[in-house]
Amino acid sequence: MNSKSKKKMQMSKWDWAFVIINTTFLVLFCIVTLYPVLNTLALSFNDGLDAVKGGIHLIPRKFSTDAYTTVFNIQGIKQGAIVTVARTVLGTLLALGANALLSFVVSRKKFMFRSSLSLFWVITMYANGGMIPGLVLLKALGLTNSFWVYIVPGLVGAFNILVLRTYMEGLPDSYEESAQLDGAGYMTIFVKIISPLCKPVYATIALFMAVGHWNSWFDAMLYNRTKPQYTTLQYELQKLLSNVMQQSGNASSSGKTASTSKVTPITVRSAATIATMLPIICLYPFLQRYFVTGLTIGGVKE
Amino acid sequence: MSLMGTNSPALKEKNTRAEMKRQRILLIIAGLFVIYGIVFYYLPLFGWIMAFQNYKIKDGIFGSEFVGLRWFKFLFSDQTFLRVIRNTLCMGVLNLVSTTITAIGFAILLNEVRNTFGKKLVQTISYLPHFLSWIVVTGIVHDALSINGVINELFVNLHIFKEPISFFSHKEYFWPIVALSNVWKETGWNAIIYLATITSIDPALYEAAAMDGAGRWQKIKHITLPGLRSTIIILLIMNIGNVINAGFEVQYLLTNGFIKPVSETIDIYVLTYGVGKMNYSLGTAGGIFKTFVSLVLIVIFNFIAKKTGDERLF
Amino acid sequence: MKSKKIFALTMACMMGLGAFAGCAKKKDEILNWNFFAAMHGSEINDGNEIQELIAKDTGIRVKETWLAGQTSAEAIGSIVASGELPEFIDGGDGSEELYKAGYLVAWDDYLAKPEFANLKEMYSDKEWEMFKHDGHIYWANVFNNSYGGKPVSHGFNDEAFWIQVRVLEWANYPKIDTLDEYFDLLERYYKENTTNADGTKIIPYTCLCEDWRYFCIENAPEFLDGYPNDGSVIVNLDDPDHPKIVDYNTTPTAKRYFAKLNEIYHKGLMDPEFAIQTYDEYMAKLSTGAVLGMCDQWWNFAGTVNDNFKANKLDEQGMNYVPLGPTIDKGMTNRWYIGANDTLNSASGIAVTTSCKDPDKAFKFLNRMLDQDMHNLRFWGIKDVDYLVEEGTGMFYRTQEMRDKWADSNYTKSHCCMYAYFPQWGGMSRDGINTMQPGDSVSEFFAGMADPLVKCFKAYGYTAYNEFLRSTDGTVGIWYPMYQFSNNLKTDTDAGVAWTKMGEVKHHWLPEIVVADDFEAKWNEYMAAYAECKPEDFLAYMQKTLDDLIAS
Repeated sequence: MNSKSKKKMQMSKWDWAFVIINTTFLVLFCIVTLYPVLNTLALSFNDGLDAVKGGIHLIPRKFSTDAYTTVFNIQGIKQGAIVTVARTVLGTLLALGANALLSFVVSRKKFMFRSSLSLFWVITMYANGGMIPGLVLLKALGLTNSFWVYIVPGLVGAFNILVLRTYMEGLPDSYEESAQLDGAGYMTIFVKIISPLCKPVYATIALFMAVGHWNSWFDAMLYNRTKPQYTTLQYELQKLLSNVMQQSGNASSSGKTASTSKVTPITVRSAATIATMLPIICLYPFLQRYFVTGLTIGGVKE
Repeated sequence: MSLMGTNSPALKEKNTRAEMKRQRILLIIAGLFVIYGIVFYYLPLFGWIMAFQNYKIKDGIFGSEFVGLRWFKFLFSDQTFLRVIRNTLCMGVLNLVSTTITAIGFAILLNEVRNTFGKKLVQTISYLPHFLSWIVVTGIVHDALSINGVINELFVNLHIFKEPISFFSHKEYFWPIVALSNVWKETGWNAIIYLATITSIDPALYEAAAMDGAGRWQKIKHITLPGLRSTIIILLIMNIGNVINAGFEVQYLLTNGFIKPVSETIDIYVLTYGVGKMNYSLGTAGGIFKTFVSLVLIVIFNFIAKKTGDERLF
Repeated sequence: MKSKKIFALTMACMMGLGAFAGCAKKKDEILNWNFFAAMHGSEINDGNEIQELIAKDTGIRVKETWLAGQTSAEAIGSIVASGELPEFIDGGDGSEELYKAGYLVAWDDYLAKPEFANLKEMYSDKEWEMFKHDGHIYWANVFNNSYGGKPVSHGFNDEAFWIQVRVLEWANYPKIDTLDEYFDLLERYYKENTTNADGTKIIPYTCLCEDWRYFCIENAPEFLDGYPNDGSVIVNLDDPDHPKIVDYNTTPTAKRYFAKLNEIYHKGLMDPEFAIQTYDEYMAKLSTGAVLGMCDQWWNFAGTVNDNFKANKLDEQGMNYVPLGPTIDKGMTNRWYIGANDTLNSASGIAVTTSCKDPDKAFKFLNRMLDQDMHNLRFWGIKDVDYLVEEGTGMFYRTQEMRDKWADSNYTKSHCCMYAYFPQWGGMSRDGINTMQPGDSVSEFFAGMADPLVKCFKAYGYTAYNEFLRSTDGTVGIWYPMYQFSNNLKTDTDAGVAWTKMGEVKHHWLPEIVVADDFEAKWNEYMAAYAECKPEDFLAYMQKTLDDLIAS
């Protein structure tokens, strides 16, 4: 108590100015950030045709849950949700394991090929063969038209390795050395010593990966177009969105269009946005406590 | 690629036979991942051959006719492509600089907040936009900046604007709009890494500075910023390679006839002239050019970092 | 503990997946095939009632998928590149790419056999000839093809200058012949009416310029000169034996048209946001009834807009649009393709791919689609459920309740299965009494209309949308549509590069000249930029293609 009050006493005029400016700035920052999200929320609960007229800010003018009904009535949404959860969980776990293991190897200071291995992966961040060779490769490997196309191709990524490596390098060597004296091999050190210490960075990387898996739809369209059992949540939403927007582009003879008239692209898009954001938002408070310590990045230095 | 890194003599001494034996498992793992990397990242690079062919799907990579540097010549003699490079690099640099500065600034300011609850709250809110897709974000930006949008409504009511501004009808607003969209979407998320680094700075340094009578400004200037230096440099080196990837979705979704000359990026060009017209060879040539620029930029910046004695990527 | 839970959850998910895949296989003997169209459309539900009836009948259940998040060219590009094809495909503009990649099954052998008589019947030998590539037929267009060659459609699916019927009613249903008259009418109406009953501000004229939909601003000079929409170029028939390709972008008419747009922009008649609006915003604007007129294709706006009018009862206020076919000068003849004759577009259509394991079965399926009972089931629905038959006359009709059901997407998704991109007929049924498509039936056509629209039709004495255009000629040239040739251009030729660049330049300059303060100066700048694209390369290619086509 004493020291705290003492500190307060010491705050100069400048410091006070700083606190005031800083607080004002952060409050403004929050408003600017939150407003569009809340606006989206308000729109998602508004009547479709009414929303078209504009002028809705934070509160729905004509309340309606039609947009959500439309979103949750999508034919493939159940299957999409199952696949998305499966790929998010499985994909994140496998990729985390793979990246952690590789980063462990790269971060061993005694390892012979340490720096060349790093370069090998850094290059992959920027060099890219383009769409067609990628498609041809995945087809040749038998990964198209399968669930595994979501998991295998993105298993290891250079950015993740850089983050994990930095964290592992920052751990004190003494743990490893004492374990080594006890006769532990590298795998034991990885599983029993390094990994438990890496919880924060694992959590951070896992969230990155999970967000990526959760939001992806392009791979579902590109590789599993004819396999509805492997559809993903976002792909189904994407289909709905292009359909709401283009419902008229469909017909070429009259009297054919039968469209949902109560919802409009604005409200459906808002509802879809909120619906997909929600699970991630619910998840991240649990992981957030790790962030502050988990994510650092560093390079090599002599 | 050199296979041996620069091993210090001390390290070599330690590389005894026993250590070699222990490292066998590391070698096996590294080997497996190298195979994975070769298959999934390096093998597709053979597709680059397409850039030197008049690639036809039916004939495949092995059957298509070779045309040498035709597509590269086409690209560099095309006024549109040269303009598109300018757009891409300018927007890329603008985005990189603005998102880096705001993320660092935000991290520092947030770090100065003493109230734990307020800090958590602000941080949580700051991530939100990251989870929105670009389709949604561009929709928001477009609405907010339209003639009847929130921004015009606000600024006209505050008498800052005399009359509503049609932001998307004027070329000069477009690059800042893209940069600000990036700032809005990613500041909170990008700040995570800087916040994490700040927390890892030894608190003793701050205490010592306080003893010397340093105020907040001084502490930020003399402790926090230098503490962030290596993270900033590594991220800059990494991201400088992405300057050439200034974006596709934002520009594609926000463009219109008026601003097309400043909004088109290399990716959009490749899409229009390459994929859309099924000229995969041209598309691949554009991709190679991008990779080349990325690598050159990274190597240059990595070299500078090495010279100045900073941490570097490789 | 936690990781175990996660593992268990994953396993459960995986088993769920496995079980799903497993039961899909066991369910029945019916083959589950796929169809992809490079267009936008809405998927129907699994277990759709009519789809199941068709599946029982044919042994094939076709899952239809549509474009999502890609343009059609990108979608076909990735399908071609990966070789992952559905059994049936309509590649749209990319059809030729699919053929070039060798992914399509030739129709010829099947068409020669008597059991595929329905398919053969779709076109005359001369027409089939037009579908041929390398002497083989790989696809068949299913639209704009009337049984017996007599179209009975009352709609107009193409491009026109549209106007709200309330404006025509206000002016006591005048005849609008020229572009000047059209804008003059909008101006006069706007002077007296600036807001709608609900307070929405009226926008006299808007013009969509977004992405590929910029045809709304771009190609009007073609019609204003009295030419039909051949697409991408004018085919001038002054010398009937040697049709000549004319670039409609540089004609005096083009300049006058854009000068007119420039003039109305400065008069405040043009929507100030015309060039920066997205398609969504454009549709929203039209849906509120605020826009008096615009130039557009019916299929680009009418579905959504008319539904919204109906839902908001705006149709009762005369917000619906009818098409007009003004010309640049008085006394010019209009030659729109108005559906008086079928327009054959041989550039795209339904195709069977090499991924199909049983092409014979596939063609039998396509053939079966055209049997009258099957055709009725697809388009009219189930007898006594979706339509009734009048005793004595044999006329099909629907009650209002049935019509409402067919306008409800929840019902259509679970009940109706048109297979809308599969072989079908327009015109009159084989029974000679009914129409192949319900929308073509006179009673059904007028039954769905609000009073002001009906009044407008009556005032002019018309019974079909296309009559508003007062077009004198509907004969379709064998070159129709010319855009099939420009759309297939790739950037590996000079013509293709020119075509792409022309598009880019127009995209930027057309809005610029409309808002220009000094029209003359901007127009000259535009023409200079346009000339740099070397349009002559493109035009020469089109002329050559046309000549070759006529020679063959």
